[in-house]
Amino acid sequence: MAFIELKGACLDLPIYDVQGRSLKKQVLRMGRRNTIAEDSDGVVVVKALDNVDLRFEAGDRIGLIGRNGAGKSTLLRTMAGIYAPTRGTVASNGKIVPLLDISLGMDDNSTGMQNIRLRGLLLGMTDAEIKAKTESIVQFCELGDYLDLPLRTYSSGMRVRLAFAVSTAVDAEILLLDEVMGVGDAAFMHKAQERLHDLHSRAEIVVLAMHANSEIRRVCNKALWMDGGRVRAFGPVEEVVAAYEQHVG
Amino acid sequence: MFNLIFIDLKQSIASYRLWTLLGWLEIRQRYARSRVGPFWLTISMGVMIGSIGVVYGSLFGQKMSDYLPFLAISLVMWTMFAQTVQEGSIAYINSATYIRQAATPKLIYVFQVMWRNLVILAHNFIIVLILLAVYGVKDWAVLPVFIPALLLYLANALWVAMLVGLLSARFRDLPQIISALIQIAFYVTPIIYRPDSLKRFSFIVELNPLAHLIELVRAPLIGQMPSLTTWCVAIGLAVAGWTFALAMTGRYLKRIPYWV
Repeated sequence: MAFIELKGACLDLPIYDVQGRSLKKQVLRMGRRNTIAEDSDGVVVVKALDNVDLRFEAGDRIGLIGRNGAGKSTLLRTMAGIYAPTRGTVASNGKIVPLLDISLGMDDNSTGMQNIRLRGLLLGMTDAEIKAKTESIVQFCELGDYLDLPLRTYSSGMRVRLAFAVSTAVDAEILLLDEVMGVGDAAFMHKAQERLHDLHSRAEIVVLAMHANSEIRRVCNKALWMDGGRVRAFGPVEEVVAAYEQHVG
Repeated sequence: MFNLIFIDLKQSIASYRLWTLLGWLEIRQRYARSRVGPFWLTISMGVMIGSIGVVYGSLFGQKMSDYLPFLAISLVMWTMFAQTVQEGSIAYINSATYIRQAATPKLIYVFQVMWRNLVILAHNFIIVLILLAVYGVKDWAVLPVFIPALLLYLANALWVAMLVGLLSARFRDLPQIISALIQIAFYVTPIIYRPDSLKRFSFIVELNPLAHLIELVRAPLIGQMPSLTTWCVAIGLAVAGWTFALAMTGRYLKRIPYWV
C-alpha cells in the first residue's frame, strides 16, 4: 500500500549570496577569521520546514493550504525526494510523481511528438509506456498535424495543452501537484477537469497545493494547513478549510 | 556515502535514454536550421588543424606526413577532454530547473555532458580518419589498442567532470578558474609539440598526468605502443579519481538541489 510518512522533518534552506558562492572569498577568509570586515560568510539559512510529522495513507486526497511562503512547495519537494530533509526522515512506498511545473523540459526546437517522448522520460516513464500512451495523448491534446511541427511554432495555449496532456498521462501511486493551472479555452477547460479527475482516481494518494478553497473542498477529503514551515492543522477537509478561512478572514 | 552514490550511479545508467536524448537536444539546438549541422564542428576543427599544422609544422621543422596526423589526433582528443571538463563544471548549474523540479538521479547531468562530447568527438574524428587514410596507418598491429585506451581516457574525463561539476555547483567562480586552468594545461601538455622536444624542461611532460593521458590515446593511432608508465598513470588516475569523485558526490549528493 502506498504511504508517505514524515517524522520530525526539518528543512533548512541555505541561501547563498555572491560572497558565499565564491571559492576565492572562502579561501581568503580562512586566513583572517574573526576580522570584522569579512565576518559574514554569505550564507543565510531559512527554516523552510520545521519539525513536520505527517502520515498520508492510500485513499487520501490531501489539499495543502496556507499563505505564500508557508512551505507548501517545499513540503511537496521534500515528499518528492528532491530536497532531502536536514533533520528527520521521509519514508514512502509507491511511485511518486511530482507535477510541479508541467512544462518542464519542453524543447522549442523539437517537434510535438519528440516533446512527448522527452517529457515522458523526464516523468520517469519507459519508452514502452510512452509508446502505449502516445495515442491517448495525441487525441487528448487535439493538436493534430501540429504535432509534427517544432514547438516554437506553437501558441502558448497549444504548449500548455501539450504539456498538460503528457503530464497527466503519467501513472503514479503518489501524485504531488502544485497549483493546477488554468488550461486553454473554455471547451478544453472542461476536458482538462475530467482528465485531472481521471488522473486523481488512478493514484492512491494525491497531494494538491492550491489557493482555490472551493476546489479543495470538492476534490479532497483531508486538508493540511501549513504556516511558517509548520503544520498548523491537519484533518477532515471541512474543518481545516473553515478554520483557515476564518483565520484569513 | 558510497551506498547512496552507487544507487544514483545505477539509476543514472539505467536512464540512459534520457541523457542521450538531452545530450542530442543540446547539439541540435546549437546547430538548428543549419544545413551542415554539427559538421560545422568538423569543418572548423579541420581548418584549425590545417593552419596550426602548416605554421607549427614548418616552425618545428617537421615532416608534414608525420606531423599532421600527430597534431590532428592530439587536438581532437584534447578538445574532447577539455570540453567535457569545461561543460562538466556547469553540468548541474545549467540543469538547475530539472534538478529542482524532478527527482531524477543526479549523475545523468554529467553523463549528458559526456555523451554530447562523445558525439562531437565522433564528428571530429572524421578528420583523423581522413588523415590516416591519406598518410597511411603506421602499424596495424597496435591500432586495436586504441579502443581500451579510449575507454580509459573517457573514464578519466568523466571523473574530472563529475568532480568539478559538484564543486562548481557550490562555488560559482570555479568554472572561470577551470577554464583558465585548461588554457594553461593546453600549453604545458604536448599537444601541438612532441613530448620529446622539450629537452631541458622535459620534466614538464614527465610530471604532467595529462601528457600521459594524451599519449595513451595518440600513440596507438600513430603506430606506437603506449609505454607501461603511461598505462599505469592512466589506470592509477582513473581508479583514484573515480573513488574520490564518487566519494565526494556521494557525500554531497543531497546538497546539490540546495546549491543549484
